[in-house]
Amino acid sequence: MLVADHLCKEFGNVVAVRDVSFAIPGGTSFGLIGPNGAGKTTTMRMILGILAPDGGQLSWKGARIDGCTRRRFGYLPEERGLYGRISVQEQIRYFGRLHRLRPAQAAARTKRWIERLELEEYAERPCSELSKGNQQKVQVACAAVHTPELLVLDEPFSGLDPVNAEMLLSVLRDLMKDGTTLILSSHQMWQLEAACNAFCIVAGGTVRASGTLAELRSRWPTRVIRVAPASDSVCSVLDRVAGAKPLDRFDGTIEYEVPASTRFSELLARLVAADAITRFEAVEPSLHDIFIHTVESTA
Amino acid sequence: MLGDFVTVYGAELARRIRSRPFVIGLLIGVVGVACFTLLPQLFISLDATSMYRVVLVADPPLAHRAADLLRQDFTIVATLPERTPDAALLKRYKVAAAIAVSRAGSSLRVAVYAKDPGNVAEGALRRDLIPLALEQETALPPRRIATLLKLPIGVHPVSSRFESSAASDAAHGIGFMLIFLLYIIILFNSQLVMTSVAEEKTTRIAELLVASVDPIALLAGKICSAATLALLQMLVWIAAAVALHGGPSTSSHGPAVRVADLIGAHVMSPEMLIAFLLFFILGFFQLSTLFAALASLINRIEDLGSVTMPLVMPNVLAFIVALLALQAPDVPWIVGLSFIPGISPYIMFARMSVSEVPAWQVGLSLAINAAALVAIVIAAGKIYRVGMLLYGRLPTLAQVWNVIRS
Repeated sequence: MLVADHLCKEFGNVVAVRDVSFAIPGGTSFGLIGPNGAGKTTTMRMILGILAPDGGQLSWKGARIDGCTRRRFGYLPEERGLYGRISVQEQIRYFGRLHRLRPAQAAARTKRWIERLELEEYAERPCSELSKGNQQKVQVACAAVHTPELLVLDEPFSGLDPVNAEMLLSVLRDLMKDGTTLILSSHQMWQLEAACNAFCIVAGGTVRASGTLAELRSRWPTRVIRVAPASDSVCSVLDRVAGAKPLDRFDGTIEYEVPASTRFSELLARLVAADAITRFEAVEPSLHDIFIHTVESTA
Repeated sequence: MLGDFVTVYGAELARRIRSRPFVIGLLIGVVGVACFTLLPQLFISLDATSMYRVVLVADPPLAHRAADLLRQDFTIVATLPERTPDAALLKRYKVAAAIAVSRAGSSLRVAVYAKDPGNVAEGALRRDLIPLALEQETALPPRRIATLLKLPIGVHPVSSRFESSAASDAAHGIGFMLIFLLYIIILFNSQLVMTSVAEEKTTRIAELLVASVDPIALLAGKICSAATLALLQMLVWIAAAVALHGGPSTSSHGPAVRVADLIGAHVMSPEMLIAFLLFFILGFFQLSTLFAALASLINRIEDLGSVTMPLVMPNVLAFIVALLALQAPDVPWIVGLSFIPGISPYIMFARMSVSEVPAWQVGLSLAINAAALVAIVIAAGKIYRVGMLLYGRLPTLAQVWNVIRS
């Protein structure tokens, strides 16, 4: 388990991380999300030992994180970089060696990752000749070649087409099956929803919300319902719901925001009594909605 | 940390040794050494076929006597009766000059008609014909004149390690060559380290690297691999110089210089070779570490020049002062500069090449440079650690100073 306890970091007069705490159980994936400048990258850098925290503590499996521990971590930074003149194969092997894999082991793992990420035809080519998406895949391989215990990925899906993004999701799931703990940061919320077990929303250097998606949703005060047809009788039923607020009307469907405490089965019964209902949908808030609401409400 | 160092060192070494800049640099160096060693001989041989190839114009009795004397230095293609030489004559005999010798009363008159008046061996001409002129003036027997002119001059070294003026000349030449080699290799290889760091910074691979290995191990592996290649480069160049210069001279002008002769004549000594190696190591590590630290601060490759110029200029000046030190090794200000870290590797070695520098001075210079290197490594390590993750505006000097003090 990774535990971050009241981390803080300042750069001169700028407070990058004010107070961040979370705990990530081993073998799970954790989404660290927040607006630009929230302190996500700084937090990740502190976990990886690139930056030393000014305050607070970090521990991995109950022990303080030192150089040896960090060698078992992997990192995909937000700003990508590769040696342009070095071949894909040599690059991945080099990072394997930096993480203390023996030469034969590094070579075998490199071959495996090249096959897993479908990079065989580029294996001997210099990285500078690869497309952005393929470079991204090489970087993922460099970060994960040593099968890290903890893999930190900052915006891992940027630059990937939907097919490759799906491939990366599959790779991350496989890593989790092998016991790797994942920390992901991304602005592509649907991909995070698909990839992560729990989330932490950071803004202004502090934690604004955290928990599983179900826990985050349970704290959400409203739900959106979509009903068709958008007739006057349907509207009059919805208008009588305490705290209900009309949102939108499209393709013969009407959208209302209602309190989360609303009893949907009773509401549906009333609607059926009022009109011939063809659609009734209670929409759970997405991670995107929760993120926007959390950040705006605490700004 | 040692494991990180070994991995980075091995990878950097393998990468660089196959890199185009290294291979091209190595070959250019060999060509340069060849030019340095063969061109002077080539010029001398060209001189032999042009400047010393002449036509003699004189009345037959005088021509006979003059030709005998001139053959010491000149190739006389033809001897012609008295006339005024012209371009057609020079062209017909394919010579650089026509030497006209005539009597004017009891004196001897010599005139040279040359295509290029600047390309006339006046010294040799005067030396060869003076016996004839004296004979004309004094009527002394030629044998007596020859005896008088062969005045023996003995050169006796006092507190010098050189046994002859030839050995001293050779020491100056070798000193110049080695200082030039030192300068080129230190600067060239330090710049390779600098561009490597700048590449890692500007391609943003730095963050991935420092998350994987200790930045100091990364920097040390990089610099040590460059030092190894610099030594290899130096060995190849020196071997090329020895191979090209160590053989017998093919020219009749100028002495051949052999390595064994240099050591025998105290031009080179094992102590000097050790000092050369130590000054190279100290100078290279100082400059490359500083270059690496500065390169870690830039965001664009284009900024490299402006950031590193303050370090390149002292090196250029040090090289120039070292050349002066070859001429005046014991001038107080040069002695003083030979203790200043950074520039002293060139200057102290220049002094050592041509004079007897007390051992304590060499030791002190090495110690000061070693101490400076420790300070540079500590400061540069701090800058490098921070610089590799620093993006945006170039930091101010005050900010860099704060990092060093931290």
